[in-house]
Amino acid sequence: MSDNVTPTTGAPVYALQCQDLKKAFQGVLAVAGATFDVPQGQITALIGPNGAGKTTVVNLLSGMMPSDSGRMQLVGTDVTNWPSHKIARRGLMRSFQLSRELGGLTVLENLLVAPKHQAGESLFNIFFRPLAVRREERENVERALETLKTYGLYDLRDNRARELSGGQKKLLEIARAVMAQPKVLLLDEPMAGVNPALIDRIGEYILDLKASGVTVLMVEHNLNVVEKICDHVIVLAEGRTLATGKLSDLRANQDVVQAYLGEVINASTHG
Amino acid sequence: MSAFWYYVFTLVFFLFDYFILAMGLNIQYGETGILNFAYIGFVAIGAYVTGAASLPNSAGTGQQYIMGWGLPFPFNLLLGGLVASAVAVLVALIALRRLRTDYLAMVLVSLSLVLYDVINNYVPLFNGADGLYNVPQPMAGIFHLTTNSFIPFFAVVTGLVALLMWFIMSRIMNSPLGRTFRAIRDDDGVAGALGKNPFGYKLTSMIIGAFYAGVGGGLIIQFGGSFNPTAWLPGETFVVFAVIIVGGVGNNVGMLVGALLVETLLIHLPAFLPEIPGHPGLIEYIDTMVVGVLLMVMLWFRPQGVVPERVRKSAGMLADRARGRGRQLTTASEGQGKSGE
Repeated sequence: MSDNVTPTTGAPVYALQCQDLKKAFQGVLAVAGATFDVPQGQITALIGPNGAGKTTVVNLLSGMMPSDSGRMQLVGTDVTNWPSHKIARRGLMRSFQLSRELGGLTVLENLLVAPKHQAGESLFNIFFRPLAVRREERENVERALETLKTYGLYDLRDNRARELSGGQKKLLEIARAVMAQPKVLLLDEPMAGVNPALIDRIGEYILDLKASGVTVLMVEHNLNVVEKICDHVIVLAEGRTLATGKLSDLRANQDVVQAYLGEVINASTHG
Repeated sequence: MSAFWYYVFTLVFFLFDYFILAMGLNIQYGETGILNFAYIGFVAIGAYVTGAASLPNSAGTGQQYIMGWGLPFPFNLLLGGLVASAVAVLVALIALRRLRTDYLAMVLVSLSLVLYDVINNYVPLFNGADGLYNVPQPMAGIFHLTTNSFIPFFAVVTGLVALLMWFIMSRIMNSPLGRTFRAIRDDDGVAGALGKNPFGYKLTSMIIGAFYAGVGGGLIIQFGGSFNPTAWLPGETFVVFAVIIVGGVGNNVGMLVGALLVETLLIHLPAFLPEIPGHPGLIEYIDTMVVGVLLMVMLWFRPQGVVPERVRKSAGMLADRARGRGRQLTTASEGQGKSGE
């Protein structure tokens, strides 16, 4: 794992660091020693062919499943095999490849679940500090409404989340994660199944997040999007890190072209 | 008091008692998604502990039981609820940490059967298969109540307890805690990814629900004066499930409606109906079948129950108030926001 401190400020250079991550399912290695660093305050794409282990890596990083071996650091803290709620409290939020909205809750409630350490989540506070609970709730509601306006979901605030379209659910997931004020945001194929107009908007939202200081790691197959908004690219193949760098540089890398880019370029040429 | 009013107040008692029981199961299943098939076990713990705490020392009573402190109402009732909650912590540590839905339900059924066998066979605990009896009628001495006047009196007391517990439950369900419970019910993986500890919240939900079960059980033993294993056969859990499914999962008003339709009208009212000539006792056997059929019909045609879970407008109302106050602040930025779909 590389040295993760800026010499002048002492701030971590990398928001996320993984070393030799491994995960097997019934003997089959889905992640077979992934090693990479995600630079602080940048947008990093995680690309690779189907079955490369991208979603498994995201699940490992977010604590949704434990790794078999290897180490992970989140902004300088070793979070290897921490449960997801502890990692989330440290500032890592995520979205899912197939949207996982809280369907029985309204759109607004989906966002209101996200803030950490809410006073109203304690039985003691509900009955003995009701004013503090109400005040915090009002602040959260105001912030959630602003966030819904930003993401174009304001008019749907009182709809149950299960009633949203696929694209709206993708937006809701990002808005929900933003509501938790993350340091690091993992987006698992945020553009998948989304119409082209919305793809541009989601791209803009991600750039806005970067501007506000959030580090983004996104799994993405759409290389146009990667080229447009990502600063850095990690290529996974067969569960291993094949290469890292800028997409323009990776296009010249024969291993990458053979494993993934050639396949994508061919598909787009013949498609 | 005429027999008619005796029947009516008995039904009123069961209406309010099952309202309490249904609220307890609803926060576990309807709000947090815990399929607690051992719920009746917590009702029984509350009943036995309340009864044993109310009874005098067991020496010379012809019964064997622990405690025997002669504890007055409502302290005996509180103790019943608290002990049920304490047992819920143990059960949660065994079952909730690693298991989900169907496996959790199987483990809870098994725990319920183990508890049933222990209490039924270990006589020194709560008098074994004979159960507890001659439990004192609460406050009968203070208000000089007779056997007849005690029934309407305690039905009203139970109504007041139910009102208090409804108020408490409404505060919980409409708070951020209630919202987090529902988030865990909908998808505990997502709730975890948002920084909520699913086990911690499920444990809290189990404790609250078990307290309601314990209090409901405590009221039953004080109303009837006795409680034995035939009163809490494991299948009784499904009657409480029927109450919340028919009434409407996730809604306290639905719990009252379910208690009225299932427990009061279908389970207890038929016991007061005249016998069918030539078929003595038939009505009592039919009522369980009717509940089963009603449950299937509801699950087929109206799974959301008679009073469905409401879309929470409390958040909406807060939103409107916030919008009103924040209009000046937001007007300038409205043009910059991306338009909705």
